[in-house]
Amino acid sequence: MMTVPNEPKIRLEHVGKMFDSFVALDDLSLDIRPGEFLAIVGPSGSGKTTVLNMLAGLDRQSSGTILLDGKPIAGPGPDRGVMFQDYALFPWQTVRGNVGFGLTHGPAGAGLDRAAREARVARVIDLVNLGGAEERYPHQLSGGMRQRVALGRLIANEPEVLLMDEPLAALDAQTRLVLQDEILRIWRQDQPAAERRTVVFITHGIDEAVYLADRVVVLGSRPGRLKAIVDVDLPRPRNEATRATAAFADLSRSIWELIRDEAIRATVE
Amino acid sequence: MARVGGLLVYLRTMAIFALAWYGLSLLVGSRLLLPSPLLVLDAVRQSALDGELLRNAGISLLRLVLAVAVAALTAIPLGIAMGLSRAWRDAFDLLVEMLRPVAGIAWIPLALFIFGIGSRLPIFIMFYSAFFPLVIGTAAGVRNVDARLLAASATMGVTGVTRIRHVVLPAALPAIMVSLRLAVAASWTAVVAAELVGAPSGLGYAIEYYRSMLATPTVMAFIAMIGVLGFLTDAGLRALEARLMPWAKDIRP
Amino acid sequence: MRTLRQLALPLALIVLWEILVALSGSPRAPRPSTTALKAVEMLADGTLLAALATSLGRVFGGFVLATLLAVPLGLAMGTLPVVERNLDPLVESFRPIAAIAILPLVILWIGTGNLAAVTIVAYAAFFPILINTIAGVKRIDRSLIRAARTMGISPLTRLRTVVLPAALPSILVGMRIGLGIAWTAIIAAELAVGAKAGTSGGIGQMMFVFYAYSIQLSGIVVCMAAVGLVAMLLDRGLRALLARAFPWSHP
Ligand SMILES: Nc1ncnc2c1ncn2[C@@H]1O[C@H](COP(=O)(O)OP(=O)(O)O)[C@@H](O)[C@H]1O
Ligand SMILES: [Mg+2]
Repeated sequence: MMTVPNEPKIRLEHVGKMFDSFVALDDLSLDIRPGEFLAIVGPSGSGKTTVLNMLAGLDRQSSGTILLDGKPIAGPGPDRGVMFQDYALFPWQTVRGNVGFGLTHGPAGAGLDRAAREARVARVIDLVNLGGAEERYPHQLSGGMRQRVALGRLIANEPEVLLMDEPLAALDAQTRLVLQDEILRIWRQDQPAAERRTVVFITHGIDEAVYLADRVVVLGSRPGRLKAIVDVDLPRPRNEATRATAAFADLSRSIWELIRDEAIRATVE
Repeated sequence: MARVGGLLVYLRTMAIFALAWYGLSLLVGSRLLLPSPLLVLDAVRQSALDGELLRNAGISLLRLVLAVAVAALTAIPLGIAMGLSRAWRDAFDLLVEMLRPVAGIAWIPLALFIFGIGSRLPIFIMFYSAFFPLVIGTAAGVRNVDARLLAASATMGVTGVTRIRHVVLPAALPAIMVSLRLAVAASWTAVVAAELVGAPSGLGYAIEYYRSMLATPTVMAFIAMIGVLGFLTDAGLRALEARLMPWAKDIRP
Repeated sequence: MRTLRQLALPLALIVLWEILVALSGSPRAPRPSTTALKAVEMLADGTLLAALATSLGRVFGGFVLATLLAVPLGLAMGTLPVVERNLDPLVESFRPIAAIAILPLVILWIGTGNLAAVTIVAYAAFFPILINTIAGVKRIDRSLIRAARTMGISPLTRLRTVVLPAALPSILVGMRIGLGIAWTAIIAAELAVGAKAGTSGGIGQMMFVFYAYSIQLSGIVVCMAAVGLVAMLLDRGLRALLARAFPWSHP
């Protein structure tokens, strides 16, 4: 993975997004470092998905600039993979077909022969623990398994930047914990920072953000805007013991303080 | 604004179609094979003036209304009974499943023998065509009524005919309306065939009559009339649907 | 016990039919007994199957033609609003005109042969397939398209690998409706041609010939039963075929 130290992987400069006259996101500036795991938290409607869609190139910002490796983002590309909030699995494809979709039909598979593609798909299916379910269709899978398929489809394309929109929101608490560790492994937590991919991870869960991320971006709503960026200097690799530390609890609490008012207001409206 | 724009696009498309038709008719150069749109317009005007167009359209429409009304009055109650009661379902299911696939149109020769040429033949064929979509749609609609609604009304002491009238019917109404539209469409298709073969009047009779007279422009005028009336009846039913069921928006078959 | 209840009404009606016709003393009127004999005769001499084969061949020809025309057009109209806006007036103008209504024009232009029959069938099946294809494309879950875009998959590949399979369940519904309508249309067309414009062959004409030239009409009832049976088999057959071909479309 090509990474120039000190150059941001992604740079947002005064980015705003309007839907007609409604301000969904107001003046966001942010550098995302190469190999960084960046979490975004914020109440519903604070513009998290909006930011992610712009990074993916699915939506255009109304103002400001977004640079990827120093160049403006013009549209979607195989260098950035997206895992959608609702999975967006292809119902007519099996697990294998979904995971291999980008390799078979998109540029991610260019230069790979059939055997190489199949080998990679098999490896990814293994990685997300879906061995044995290769020939099943999405409607035959549990929520947790669908989630793994979406994750597998994302990483099979080996994008440099992984964009994930509340990927674990629909899961039960136990499965969520397991997949958190899997995501860290896929991000290459065990390797030196230069070897890692760049991850932008949207979540509702403050614990989840603190557990996973190097930095947590806190957004506020109405209009969506940057409230704070919190450094998470917990040592890596992180594991279950990390959650029990005082530092973990302190960080979680301080982020909660930042969004509490708005989160509570959102529930009563 | 959007409506005006839509109208413009509509007019533009139809103008291009008319022009292409006109050009083609010049190329063919035979008013028997392909009359120009102007000739067809003239035929429309003439058959409108001498009353033929409206008379035959009125006859076909009247038959449609009669046939569909009789079908609705018999099929909807039967459908409700079949939807609510296992005994009724058992009694009629097989008969319905045996007769339904036999297209109404396939009854024409036998109906010719039974009724002879006249109004009763097309009315019977249209009735038959409308009956099955209505029975099946109504029965399915009633069976799909949320069981909790039935239970809820029972806990309020609402049962029997009152429950059918105030719970079952409104809940099944969207399905019934969809099947009514299907029934009318099926009837309208059948009328042309039935009148074409076995009636001395009506739109189907008229297009066959003018075909045998080699009056192609008039044939086309009547075909257009069939399309216009088919469109208008469906639009009317959709409007009725919207009025009857303001709570169920835009249900399409 | 339940089977008995289910059989009771059809059996009673058949018995009633036999008695009524016997009492009426009409020699031409068909009755269940004569119909059964006639059915055996028509099956044995092969006339029934030959007529069905003629009609079915026309239906398949027209149906395939309609599918080949309607699906691509529907995909274009569903994906490109410009195409839809501009063609919609034409579609909505012709859709309410039943296939049998254009029969006189088809006879005028093409005659009464197989090509004319295929044309009628194609016209009849075209609109249901078209309308359902458009609706299927428009109802596609947008996030599937977005997912494909983020993988850098080109628009044309997307049409083949995402839009078409995602719209397929709806297209197949359209094809089933279209096939049913096509079968009705061919019978109507054969019947009408047989009655008014000479010979057409097929089961529809066979029915009319029985009416016009026969002293005994049970052959008509045999044909009607055959028409119903074929309609049922076509629908069940297509459904089974599709369920096997597209297992994912059955959650
Ligand atoms: N396509 C759109 N059109 C209009 N408003 C939108 C659209 N997408 C998002 N919004 C609005 O923008 C705000 C931010 O939305 P979103 O980014 O989805 O928030 P989050 O993901 O943080 O819940 C919300 O108020 C939402 O209603
Ligand atoms: Mg969101």
